[in-house]
Amino acid sequence: MSENRVKLASPIDFIRHQLLGKLGIVFGLAILVFSFAMMSPVFISSGNLSNILVQSAVNAIIAAGMTFVVICGQIDLSVGATLALSTCIGAKVMVKTGNVMLGVVVTLAAGIVLGVINGVIVAYIDFPPFITTLSTMWLFRGVAYVYTGGQAITNLPDGMMSLAMNSFLRIPLIVWLLILVYVICHIFLSQSGAGRKIYAVGDNPEASRLTGINVKGVKLLVFTLSGFLAALSGVILMSRLNSGQPIAGQSFEMYAIAAAVIGGASLTKGGIGNMPGTIIGAVFIATLQNGLTILNVSSFWQQVFMGIVVLFAIGLDKLRKRASF
Amino acid sequence: MTNTPLLELKSIRKVFPGVIALDDVSLTIYEGEVVALLGENGAGKSTLMKVLSGAYQRDGGEIYISSKQIPKHYTPREAKELGIGIIYQELSLVSELSVAENIFLTREPRKVKSINLVDYKKMFQLAKEQLEKLDVSYIDVKAKIGSLPLPERQMVEIAKALSQNCSVIIMDEPTTSLTWEETLRLFDVINSLKKQGVAVIYISHRLAEIFEICDRATVMRDGKVVGDCKISETNQQKIISMMTGRNFTLTQRAESKSEIQDNKILFSAQKISDGKMIKNVTFDVHQGEVLGIGGLIGAQRTELMRIISGVDKAKSGKVFIDGQEVNISSPVKATKGMIGYLSENRKEEGLNLGLTISENIILSNFGDVSDVGLVKKKKVSETGNKYISSLKIKGRAGTIVGNLSGGNQQKVAISKWLNSGCRVLIFDEPTRGIDVAAKTEIHDLIREFSQRGNAAIVVSSEVNELVAVSDRILVMSHGEIVSEIFDCEISQDRVMYDVTSSGGKKHE
Repeated sequence: MSENRVKLASPIDFIRHQLLGKLGIVFGLAILVFSFAMMSPVFISSGNLSNILVQSAVNAIIAAGMTFVVICGQIDLSVGATLALSTCIGAKVMVKTGNVMLGVVVTLAAGIVLGVINGVIVAYIDFPPFITTLSTMWLFRGVAYVYTGGQAITNLPDGMMSLAMNSFLRIPLIVWLLILVYVICHIFLSQSGAGRKIYAVGDNPEASRLTGINVKGVKLLVFTLSGFLAALSGVILMSRLNSGQPIAGQSFEMYAIAAAVIGGASLTKGGIGNMPGTIIGAVFIATLQNGLTILNVSSFWQQVFMGIVVLFAIGLDKLRKRASF
Repeated sequence: MTNTPLLELKSIRKVFPGVIALDDVSLTIYEGEVVALLGENGAGKSTLMKVLSGAYQRDGGEIYISSKQIPKHYTPREAKELGIGIIYQELSLVSELSVAENIFLTREPRKVKSINLVDYKKMFQLAKEQLEKLDVSYIDVKAKIGSLPLPERQMVEIAKALSQNCSVIIMDEPTTSLTWEETLRLFDVINSLKKQGVAVIYISHRLAEIFEICDRATVMRDGKVVGDCKISETNQQKIISMMTGRNFTLTQRAESKSEIQDNKILFSAQKISDGKMIKNVTFDVHQGEVLGIGGLIGAQRTELMRIISGVDKAKSGKVFIDGQEVNISSPVKATKGMIGYLSENRKEEGLNLGLTISENIILSNFGDVSDVGLVKKKKVSETGNKYISSLKIKGRAGTIVGNLSGGNQQKVAISKWLNSGCRVLIFDEPTRGIDVAAKTEIHDLIREFSQRGNAAIVVSSEVNELVAVSDRILVMSHGEIVSEIFDCEISQDRVMYDVTSSGGKKHE
């Protein structure tokens, strides 16, 4: 027998819970923006604020994929390498044919294929996701080096830069793309049947299987989405750098995981997390990096702050659990 | 028995935010006595035992052991030093360690006093002696816990408590997973504990066992003690009345449903084999029928059910619904074919404990709550509320299932399947660890389901339950159906006789 009783929440408990929970990270971001604004007038300029969003885009879009994966109780360490390999393949196609659209499509298709490789190994051969994607991280990266001979692929057609250069309604195209990706991912995760199944599988795979959910299919889906979104953010990176680079995306997986965790996902327990949380996590990281750079803090110290921020986010999560009990 | 009580709890009080969990609870136990602690789910039994074992701190009252008052605050570890041992429903052994290592965990005998090197030879020897005291020396002290069947693990748990010189042992639902035979073996162990002067607090929902093994019964309701009596001076009806606070009639045989035999066959399993113990099992279920499946543990009942619902792979055999063959190669296919399986392991396999009530219920069927492929929040909570009110689930649509009591969790799991649209539902131990009132409600739900033109299969180790819920009962043993009991022949005695005579071990 169990002794669980429904505890009645007082209004104060409710507010505290909200502050620590969904609003906590928004609150944290507001404090961060406010402090940087106080310290540097450059920071708060509209140019810089849109710059922060542009800077966050690459990580945020990878992190959207990571959010699917982590909610499903999995992990994908190969996203950075997936980005590198898929953009190198796409860039070569672009250079050979001179066709930008074809190059982009090939990049995205390559991302999907690499995601499917991860998904098949994890879901159908039943290898643990950590080891699998650690291995494919090296494998994809290695193939990218072999394929390019370690050289960046330059001389992309002029059209490739247009994504990074142009704006619509004075907002950079990259930011529009970022918003579009998150709106679609959020609706998909929170409102589609497949999205609900990702939560169910992450929370309890065996119960989900017995309920008639195709657990292997759901795992394959999240890795495929992760691969696709890594490649999509690769397209943005390619546009900003105007080249395809085999060394691109190193340790991007860590920033993506950090964004998801700051946003409320958990690496130890699936079934938790959401897209709004992750994008705020990604913007938070970009804001921190941007603000510290403007304040002339060295990149060495920036890493120290990153570490503290992620630890703090986990601490917040613990507090929230205690408050919700 | 001596006249000074071994353990005395006086006016124990425990308050949780908003709830008085224990109110003026007193309990006295003498040496060598077995006291049953009874009550419905939520009556406060587990809370009382958690207070006694040091897991919770009490807010008021005194505890005496052999007339000596013990301090107000103590940890579970200090409770053990005071001689109070508890064996939880979920056993707390380390499955990767051996029997002996578990018994002496953190108290391993050392080779040299000051050096932390375990003296394995001595440890195995001491462990063997402990097991011999319980007459269970057939358990290998070097075997990994994970490799032992559940009843043997339980014996190890008891041996562990004894090795810590516990004078009071609390057993929380010790027989839920045991067969009748194994239960009898546990009773032998309890009897030998009595002889050694150990007092046992025995918590169980199975009243038949109470009359078999206990000397005295203390009944709790809503955090208070409502009755205390000698077992020899009471009976099952009286105890149930005390537990529920109202006159209670024992679950009656459901009225005759003989017309079912004329109904058409809805579900049919043909020559099912798993390549191991299950060989060529064939049976039918009629439309509107509840088929009970009885047998001892090891009879392969769950295994058979998992095969016909696609959870485990069949080696051969076919399943038909309405004469149409159903693909049972996976649960995905089986549920599409309208067969659902409610697992006996509610927490591990039955529910998504981290999700809400309504999210759990819709998992089996997104079609009804979706619009152009998107799940509508309003429809989800409507579906949740529909089942919450019709099944009387204590919670709201947005309540996390992990925070519900066992009975309410089970109702959520059942709701999920009722919502799935499946026409054949298999209920494996649907009321395990659930209080009497909720049990009756669940039985009614199963009967209602089948009467709506569906078919239900109920696997149960409790004869009472099979008698109460079934129109027909099949008894299994060693992967075969060994007897079939029809409607009018169903009785407690007949089922008990068939089940127990089916034999526990084949090659004895």
